[in-house]
Amino acid sequence: MQGNEQQAYDRGITIFSPDGRLYQVEYAREAVKRGTASVGVRTEDGVVIAADRHARSPLIERDSIEKIHEIDSHVGVASAGHVADARQLIDVARRQAQVNRLRYDEPASVESLTKEITDYIQQYTQTGGARPFGVALLVAGIEDGEPRLFETDPSGTPYEWQAVAIGGSREDIQTFLEDEYAEEMDLEAGIELALRALASVNEDGLDATGVDIATIDVESEQFEKLAEDDIAERLEEFELGGEN
Amino acid sequence: MYDPENRLTDAYEPEVGNLPNEDGGRDEENVVKTGTTTVGISTENGVIIATDRRASLGGRFVSNKQVQKVEQIHPTAAMTLVGSVGGAQSFIRSLRAEADLYEVRRDEPLSIHALATLAGNFARGGPYFAINPIVGGVDEDGSHVYSVDPAGGVLEDDYTVTGSGTMVATGTIEGQYDPEMSLGEARDLAIRAVNAAAERDTGSGNGVVLAEITDEGVEIDAFDDYETAE
Repeated sequence: MQGNEQQAYDRGITIFSPDGRLYQVEYAREAVKRGTASVGVRTEDGVVIAADRHARSPLIERDSIEKIHEIDSHVGVASAGHVADARQLIDVARRQAQVNRLRYDEPASVESLTKEITDYIQQYTQTGGARPFGVALLVAGIEDGEPRLFETDPSGTPYEWQAVAIGGSREDIQTFLEDEYAEEMDLEAGIELALRALASVNEDGLDATGVDIATIDVESEQFEKLAEDDIAERLEEFELGGEN
Repeated sequence: MYDPENRLTDAYEPEVGNLPNEDGGRDEENVVKTGTTTVGISTENGVIIATDRRASLGGRFVSNKQVQKVEQIHPTAAMTLVGSVGGAQSFIRSLRAEADLYEVRRDEPLSIHALATLAGNFARGGPYFAINPIVGGVDEDGSHVYSVDPAGGVLEDDYTVTGSGTMVATGTIEGQYDPEMSLGEARDLAIRAVNAAAERDTGSGNGVVLAEITDEGVEIDAFDDYETAE
């Protein structure tokens, strides 16, 4: 139990604690950890994003569990944390991507899209009467022919990564990625690493309906989701599948 | 107006400053106009923009004989003032601010195509009445020349001419342009075109201003007569 003194500083989002902390933002980070993990891997040939979306009941329609979203033809987002919060940010990103095309007749850069999202998130750490976003995102795409991979967190800080995990078991998956990542991977190796990373914290193994994967290839510059069959094939090949 | 609190507002408006309001009721007789001949020629090694230096009132009186009608708006791009001087000047300031803001935010300059698109959006969205500038510049893809019309039309070409002396100047360039020509040859051709317009168009004259744009930057020089310019 926490004392009254600390409680006073977590009531309002705009109130710093005496030691300079914003408790609501830290609680929002906890909300991200409660979500299932998403992983991003940047390779020389493109970017891979993968998300654990296992269902809590076999009766749910799997396609209704969305953790990977197309933002524009050259950018995708994977989320971890509150899905409903993620949807708001994804819509901000989608609209901003179109604004960039209207304004400059050019595709939005991955970095500027990420910063639009994080600037939006940041406003909710400084405005009274609102709560911060309980979600982290991986923003992946191609910019000027180069693969880029960014993370956004509930404080509204953007980070760029070679490979990164967000959500539950983040630390363990990140350690796995740090051990296994190699800069000169191709896209297929990136898919394998992303799947292995997600499987590393799933004792029961992965099942194709419980994983979402998308790639953005440097050549095509197109966001593409992997079909369930293609995921199943790879899980079998890499021996990551469950007993089903 | 663009609202920084909501970054998704109008894609057609400047982020800093406002588009001018309606033009209604302006005293047309007393608006200083450029008349003008402005020429943009694209070559492999860069872009030449040449303009005359005359401003006029009501098409009858030369109100200024040393107007600089081409301004740098971007590290490697320039734009011409054509039409109402007030409208064109505020248009140039707006675009320059937007280009600077874009570059400082994204750590890379606007491409010339994006710059011309932005110019077209502003021209269409706000009544910078009767402006018809040329945007010329160099970027990663090479040299570009665009004309922007008052309704927001944006057209790229190898060379383009706007202003009251368009017919005469275009005639001079027509048939003489060669995509292989050097920057120096393009410079001479642009001067000849502005000179021809100055001879025959009452809205153009009083010398020439030249902008030479390469991937190094923009250099602008003014000349009282056409011989010294060459």
